[in-house]
Amino acid sequence: MSTGFSRRALLKAGLAGASALAAPSLLTACAPKSTSTGSSSGPIKVGVLSPLSGAWTVYGKAHSAGFRLAVDEINAAGGTLGRRWEVVLADTKTEPQVVTEQANRLVREERVDFLAGTFSSAERNAAGPVATNADKLLLYPTFYEGQSQQYHPGVCNPNVFMFGPEPTEQVWPHLEYVVKKHGGKFFLIGSDYVWPRETNRLTKQKLTELGGSVVGEVYVPFNTPQYGAVIDQIRRARAQVVFLSLTGSDTVNFRRQLAASGAKKDLVVWTVDDEEAATTGVGPDATAGDYVSFDYFWSIDTPNNRKFRAAVTKKYPDVIMSTVGVAMYNAAHLAALAIEKAGSVGTDEVRRALEGLTFDGAPQGPVTMRALDHQAVLPSYLAQVRPGWTGPDDMFTVVHQVAKVEPATAQCETLPLAKS
Amino acid sequence: MRRPGPETLLAVPVFVALFYVPYLISGYTVFILAQYMLYGVLALTLCLLWGLGGMVSFGQGAFFALGAYALGITVRELDSPWLGLLLAVVLGAGVAGAVGWFLFSANVRDSYFVLVTLALSTIVYVVANAQSGLTGGFNGMFVPRVSFGPLSLSGDLSMYYLAFAVTLASYVGARLVQASAFGRVLVSIRENEDRTQALGYPTALYKTAAFALSGAVAAVAGALYATDAGFVSPSLGGVLFSTTVVVWVAVGGRNSFLAALVGAIGISALSNALNSVVPEYWQLLLGVLFVLVIVFFRRGVVGSLLMVGERRHARR
Amino acid sequence: MDRLLATGIDLTTSTLVLALVSLGLAVVFGLVRVINMGHGAMLALGAYLAWSLTGAGWPFPLAVAGAAVGVAAVGFVFEYLVIRHFYGRLFDTLLISWGFYLVVTELIKVVWGSTLKSVPNPLPGSIAIGGAGIGRYEAVVCVISVLLLTAAGAVLYRTDVGLRVRAMIGNREMAQMLGVDAPRLYRGVFVAGSALAGLAGALIAPLFSIEPDLGTLWLVRAFFVVTVGGLGAIVGGTVVGSALIAGGTVVFSVFSPQVFAQTVVFALAVIALRARPTGLIGRTAVRA
Repeated sequence: MSTGFSRRALLKAGLAGASALAAPSLLTACAPKSTSTGSSSGPIKVGVLSPLSGAWTVYGKAHSAGFRLAVDEINAAGGTLGRRWEVVLADTKTEPQVVTEQANRLVREERVDFLAGTFSSAERNAAGPVATNADKLLLYPTFYEGQSQQYHPGVCNPNVFMFGPEPTEQVWPHLEYVVKKHGGKFFLIGSDYVWPRETNRLTKQKLTELGGSVVGEVYVPFNTPQYGAVIDQIRRARAQVVFLSLTGSDTVNFRRQLAASGAKKDLVVWTVDDEEAATTGVGPDATAGDYVSFDYFWSIDTPNNRKFRAAVTKKYPDVIMSTVGVAMYNAAHLAALAIEKAGSVGTDEVRRALEGLTFDGAPQGPVTMRALDHQAVLPSYLAQVRPGWTGPDDMFTVVHQVAKVEPATAQCETLPLAKS
Repeated sequence: MRRPGPETLLAVPVFVALFYVPYLISGYTVFILAQYMLYGVLALTLCLLWGLGGMVSFGQGAFFALGAYALGITVRELDSPWLGLLLAVVLGAGVAGAVGWFLFSANVRDSYFVLVTLALSTIVYVVANAQSGLTGGFNGMFVPRVSFGPLSLSGDLSMYYLAFAVTLASYVGARLVQASAFGRVLVSIRENEDRTQALGYPTALYKTAAFALSGAVAAVAGALYATDAGFVSPSLGGVLFSTTVVVWVAVGGRNSFLAALVGAIGISALSNALNSVVPEYWQLLLGVLFVLVIVFFRRGVVGSLLMVGERRHARR
Repeated sequence: MDRLLATGIDLTTSTLVLALVSLGLAVVFGLVRVINMGHGAMLALGAYLAWSLTGAGWPFPLAVAGAAVGVAAVGFVFEYLVIRHFYGRLFDTLLISWGFYLVVTELIKVVWGSTLKSVPNPLPGSIAIGGAGIGRYEAVVCVISVLLLTAAGAVLYRTDVGLRVRAMIGNREMAQMLGVDAPRLYRGVFVAGSALAGLAGALIAPLFSIEPDLGTLWLVRAFFVVTVGGLGAIVGGTVVGSALIAGGTVVFSVFSPQVFAQTVVFALAVIALRARPTGLIGRTAVRA
């Protein structure tokens, strides 16, 4: 070579470059090697994956705040097994590929003891394989489509626990009430993916049993701004109930345009997506009289929720708390109870302890993690939006409720969900 | 023997460094660097179009996603990663070639080409969401770590070195294309397409070939990404990811393959690092950085460095 | 018959709303050759300003005007600090304005937070037309869209300023020799485009979700409108492009699923581009 650099100089440069790239990992290289038995000293580390930017930012604040609030409470009470909790927060950008990247970082570099969070089904599915490979638990908070083997290991995964309601918990308990009051001609409109399709399939099934019928079913691609054509279809179908499972900005755009079109005078709207944050986005004028069903509402009047609301208002006054944040809150508390019961943060031990465990302090009423399929036994509420509301405090009136709903059994190959 | 230019002089330590990373550390860095190298390959494919041929594509994510789905679906249905890889190449080259010929033969250029590539991203995103029977829709598709013959990718190390080999090969390949007669015609098209045409070169054919090549390599990167990450979802093909590729290449430097490669790896690593320090504000910081680079370093960060080197090189 | 009427109404409103949203982009793109990727962020900014101003008790029309002025001011600063140094460099302005988009979107989150906002509908209720209907506010937005398009055409073809702008597009050197102050004219056009974006953002605020990423919803569609319609054909191009993108979706979704409708429309737009690489209306409209 005529350039004059020696082989040794080159190697040196190579090594320097490599160590610069590797700097963050070098720092953690001395940390105890993590295995599925979990760390046994120092703080209990939890990796929280929240959508802090991107399409679903609106839910991100409540999502992470719910978990942090519970961790603050746990730490204030002296931690678990005498160890403090430490939260490592990561932004998922609402993008599944960022979930893959960040979940791996939390597990491999931060060496967290378990994971909580992810928001959409796609985000959860991206985190599923990571949880399996690292043998860590993932606590998932969102209302979701239920479990079917097709989406294993995002669901039907022994390492994943669901803290939100699935469609039969969210919809079925209230169908009869709505049909009796407003009639059985339903128009189903949802975003074009699994959760709305599954929700509508189950709704249709129960609705037919109750003598109602589906007069229209439309799926809209994400990020559709204009809904004139759909609203026209709804008008022509002479629907009595518009059953809504659109998500994100689409639900807001649709509901504002539906209200502006004047079509709402002949029908009622029932949404299974628009919790406090999304309803805030739709605004009081376009939501008055609409129905919403969830396992939790800010306006539920129970001693637990009064306490919870006071704590949220004090610590996170800017956050609009909702079902997802509450599920994160319950997930942390249930995990703390399970770790205490197991006497360890090892994945197998905590999983066994979580199965069948009940958290009595949940804001919506007692929540039990079912052992069979890792789905939560939850209360279910149907609320109606009050006209002229000014904020989450006076947004919803609960009109129908069931204290304890068993979820439909998961469609998994092997039940109970056990480690394969 | 011809004296190597500054780009080569810088490329050697970069690749040597990448080669030695797993010797020094294990765990997350090795896992994630493999992914970033595949992003780097994606950046190379854009650089080939943009730096060489002057065609800005806002649709490289679409080919990446096509490759990822091709591998995922073939492995699921036929259990053959080789066929999956082949399908990725065929789909990437085929779609890019067809779209390219359709447009270039009618002399669609510049911003119109940008728009069509944006459309391509949008269409791939919408279709991947809608065809849930095939792709798993919005909820995504799981892809196992596959084996190519005796090479099993189940470990991070083998995945790393496969990604490394593909990156090195893509880089060397891109440099060879740049130095070839084909590459010189592309540059000539970038500088003045009408004149090149007048000289008798079928420019539409050359541009189509470049676009097809870029699509095929992007699809291969996507296929390897699928098995590496274990999960594919439509947002890989979406407009946001495609614009991110443009950001990598612009910040790194569009006139040099090495700059594009380093841009992709560097920005991905920086985003990741900022995410763990300031999860709420990292995108703002990244945006500000992007604007500053575009305004003050037209040739990109690495590209500007290389230019300084080139001047010295020329003076010698 | 009612069905035809209803589809006709949808087609008209969808087209006019999209034309309103795209007009600012068309003005900047067509006249000063800047692909303003920041357009989406300007729409969002307009909507947020409208939210703040109506929240502060301003009557809605005043809030819309305030939003337009506010976004125009931001556009002015952006042009003065950055854009003016990059005129004539198509891809550089594209990248810089994409950076503007990223930064402004994140700043919106810092200033207004990431919770969704809503602006109350200033004109609730609907008008019955035969067996179909249209919201009163939607109707007003459509009328404003028509007025703005007409006004843009009038300014371009009936005023002195318009003459100078057209002269500049035709031949910049010649126009400058004839005493046209090109830098000032460029700035004027960019600021006008920003004002139109702010105005559109504020006007559609009562019909849409107000969130930091609001612009992404529109950006790709608006691009299609502008390029398919034709570079330089500000008014005609915007209307034709909007009719193809928004109207096409309405027509196709009458007899096919939404996904299909949207995909087909994008594919059609690409084919239209090939058939007329300079747009369906093309540049002849400017020369005429």
